[in-house]
Amino acid sequence: MTRIALAIAAIAMLAGTAVAHHGWGSYDAKNPVTVAGKVLTSKYENPHVTLTVQGKDKVWTVTLAPTSRMVNRGALAEMVKVGADISAFGYPSTREADEMRAERITVDGKTIEMR
Amino acid sequence: MDASAPQWLVALEGSGLGAAIRQSVWIYPAANVAHVVAIAAFAGSVVLIDLILLGVVRPAGRATLLQRARRWSMGLFAMVVLSGLVLFIAEASHVALNRVFQLKLGLIALAVLNALVLGSRAETAIAKLTDTEPLPAHASRAAAASLCLWLCVVALGRFIAYV
Repeated sequence: MTRIALAIAAIAMLAGTAVAHHGWGSYDAKNPVTVAGKVLTSKYENPHVTLTVQGKDKVWTVTLAPTSRMVNRGALAEMVKVGADISAFGYPSTREADEMRAERITVDGKTIEMR
Repeated sequence: MDASAPQWLVALEGSGLGAAIRQSVWIYPAANVAHVVAIAAFAGSVVLIDLILLGVVRPAGRATLLQRARRWSMGLFAMVVLSGLVLFIAEASHVALNRVFQLKLGLIALAVLNALVLGSRAETAIAKLTDTEPLPAHASRAAAASLCLWLCVVALGRFIAYV
């Protein structure tokens, strides 16, 4: 019985750290933000497509989805290339200043879910 | 790219190989899935070694080993489901609509059915045999289905993020 309890405790702790190191855990979901403006830099690559966007008051780093998900959902490279207009709704990072992860983006008149 | 990291790591990430991995649509997802599936199988082998070393897994007849392993697998499956439920609740509206996730649930249903029906049947039959009598053919079929289905479930779970 104690062996099982120990095993459960160990796995629960491991699972906790796994959630913390990646995914949506290090973003402030209680304070969503919308970044809208022109794409300044565009890295359409894995593990995540990453843009910098000229927002109203500052430049944001915008983290999107892996390239296979982007392509599958119709968010192609040329739609988020340098100079494109984008509106990204998501959550600011709790670790990196001026970085946010997008729930969804609107480009070329289309709204595409990232999650 | 974190320029504050040791130079050799920056060079590794910035190499042609690093760029090729990032820019390929399929390499990173494929490596992710392969990594997780390999870990699942690897973990099984390591846990077995360690449980033998701890004296938890002791030599026993085929039927006894199967019965003990079956009990462990059911308890561990409960933990997988509980932790999975936590993950699911956080993003339920998105994950439920994801085709890969739906396929994964379908395969889990088949795998559980296989274990409950074919697996139980195999174990019941084996309990009536001595350790030297040959295994029935249906035991191999239950095992092949189980291996195939569960490894696919693990792969699909990781692949959800890439579709």
